[in-house]
Amino acid sequence: MDIDILELTETQARFKVTNTSPEVINALRRVLLSEIPKMAIDVVEFHLGPIKDADGREFESVSPLFDEIVAHRLGLVPIPTDLSMKEKDKCDCGGEGCPSCMIGYSLFKTGPCDVYSGDLLPLTEGDASVRVKDELIPIVRLGEGQAILVYAFAEMGTGKKHAKWQVANGVGYKYLPSVKIDASKCDNGGTCIPICPKKVFAKEGNKVKVVNEGDCILCMACTDENICKTGAIKVVGDPTKFIFEFETDGSLSAKDTLMKGLELLHQKFEDFKEQVSTLEA
Amino acid sequence: MIIPVRCFTCGKVIGSSYQTFVKRVQMGEDPKEVLDDLGLTRYCCRRMIISHSDLLEELIPLG
Ligand SMILES: [Zn+2]
Ligand SMILES: [Zn+2]
Repeated sequence: MDIDILELTETQARFKVTNTSPEVINALRRVLLSEIPKMAIDVVEFHLGPIKDADGREFESVSPLFDEIVAHRLGLVPIPTDLSMKEKDKCDCGGEGCPSCMIGYSLFKTGPCDVYSGDLLPLTEGDASVRVKDELIPIVRLGEGQAILVYAFAEMGTGKKHAKWQVANGVGYKYLPSVKIDASKCDNGGTCIPICPKKVFAKEGNKVKVVNEGDCILCMACTDENICKTGAIKVVGDPTKFIFEFETDGSLSAKDTLMKGLELLHQKFEDFKEQVSTLEA
Repeated sequence: MIIPVRCFTCGKVIGSSYQTFVKRVQMGEDPKEVLDDLGLTRYCCRRMIISHSDLLEELIPLG
């Protein structure tokens, strides 16, 4: 399996994979979706009863949304992840919660105001690396006399347990397209030009040419016998070459996600090999 | 209600784009171009923004 990066930004990746098979590439897709660990808020403690601010004014701990919904929304906020952190139940602390398996946040706001993900403050003050990067996600809106005071704790998990721990979204791939026109058969009528949704064909002079081969999605609309009556167009997807793309929610960079995914896949294959070898013995 | 944090279908974070979208469309920009600019390329994410109705304000007195 060889990977050629076509596009790589902080949250998006697009690459060409060659020398592989549909099974392996689908395994990579599934690993990216459900096996990469990341941090997400899992425990939220709400302060109930009256809340006083610094000036001594009193607020009620109510908001227009149920506490459960606020907690759910907090869970979906992407938390910056350090992959060296451990899952809570596999940590040396025995599941109690410690700095190497948990990140604590506090959130205190008094109404009337909008509460945003950027209002989550890390309990370890001054630690800028765990501050939420996407600060504009609305959590709830507070009215006059309403306030919110919560402590939220993030822990490591994978997408298998809940979608809030899913790092990559929009994960997909297509076979590398190959579009060829047999010039000896083609009548240059150009019926294939408007039928193609990705504008793969165009007229150059009075000849129909393939101008955008890479954009082809193998929909086969152009090879239909009512469109290309002479059967000159040949479209095939190569099952050993793929264009793969995915994006992340911002908790991990696209590069780290891909590296971790490949590492996990490798590990899984090794485990499988070992299990098979015990069967033979 | 309030804008969902993520797209129901694909899981992309879309909540943070809503306010920018509303502001820029009110300023007279083409919604299509604003969505493209905000990086919402899939139609599942685009419908989250364009079909949203912000009714949270009406629930505040009931809190
Ligand atoms: Zn621990
Ligand atoms: Zn979507």
